[in-house]
Amino acid sequence: MNNEDQDIESALRSLRPRPPGPAVVSAIGRALDAPAAPPSARGVILRWSAGLSAAAAGLLGFLFFTRAPVTAAPEYQLVRAEQPPAAVDVFAPVRLADGSFARPVRVRWNNETQWEDRRTNTRLIQYSPSEQFGLIPLETY
Amino acid sequence: MNDAHSEQDWRAWFAEHGARLRLIARQWTRSDADADDVLQEAFVRFWKHQRHLPGNPNALVVTSIRRAALDLHRRTDRRALREQVVSVDAAAVADFEPEADPRLQALASSLPSLSAEQREVVVLKVWGDLTFEQIGAQLEISPNTAASRWRYAMEALRRLVTARTYE
Repeated sequence: MNNEDQDIESALRSLRPRPPGPAVVSAIGRALDAPAAPPSARGVILRWSAGLSAAAAGLLGFLFFTRAPVTAAPEYQLVRAEQPPAAVDVFAPVRLADGSFARPVRVRWNNETQWEDRRTNTRLIQYSPSEQFGLIPLETY
Repeated sequence: MNDAHSEQDWRAWFAEHGARLRLIARQWTRSDADADDVLQEAFVRFWKHQRHLPGNPNALVVTSIRRAALDLHRRTDRRALREQVVSVDAAAVADFEPEADPRLQALASSLPSLSAEQREVVVLKVWGDLTFEQIGAQLEISPNTAASRWRYAMEALRRLVTARTYE
């Protein structure tokens, strides 16, 4: 840069640009005085999402760590098993497809078992009805 | 966030630097009103988001002005910034306070005769207080190109001022 350039630059620096209008100055003053702007809608959504996620995580953690201790499995022991006499129904003879005869028979019975947990003093009674059909062949003379 | 300029009186800072910042905004806008709008938007944007940053705020404010000017051009769907029409002499002289010294007045009225590219380098260097590196970064050109435009501008101004002084 030669001396002539420096002279021009110095002269340029001595020029005084016009200041911005009073409207600009007052608008900037108002902006600087304004309180912090409320968060944007996006910011609100993000904050709510983060808050709800944290709350959900906290709730899950609470439920996981504070849930009631698992009770011990019941300790039922068989104390009684009964099979009352079966009821037998005998029906009238029938003729079968091959021409022979048979008598239908139905047998019904109940199995009953009782289980007891002495620790909790509870009982479990189990009934299991059963039924069976059969044919008794008849010989004819 | 730490505020590197927590003690800064930004109203006073703007009062001190507003005039030269407006001149910078004027280089990238088509009218005084646009320049005022751009300056206001740029400074408020800087104040809200960047005033906490360390270092000299000048370059940040200049960058903010350029972005605001580009935003304005995009919003108004005008032609590209580079294609803007060079302001007429009368308008450019109005960018400066009147000078009693005829040589200074000739200089002020000669600035609009520079090409837009040379003029923005001159304005950024003289009133933006930017280095050629910073000007290059601002205009997305190399520092050498910025320096070259500066040299051509000085040469042209010297010629123009001499001619106008003796008119």
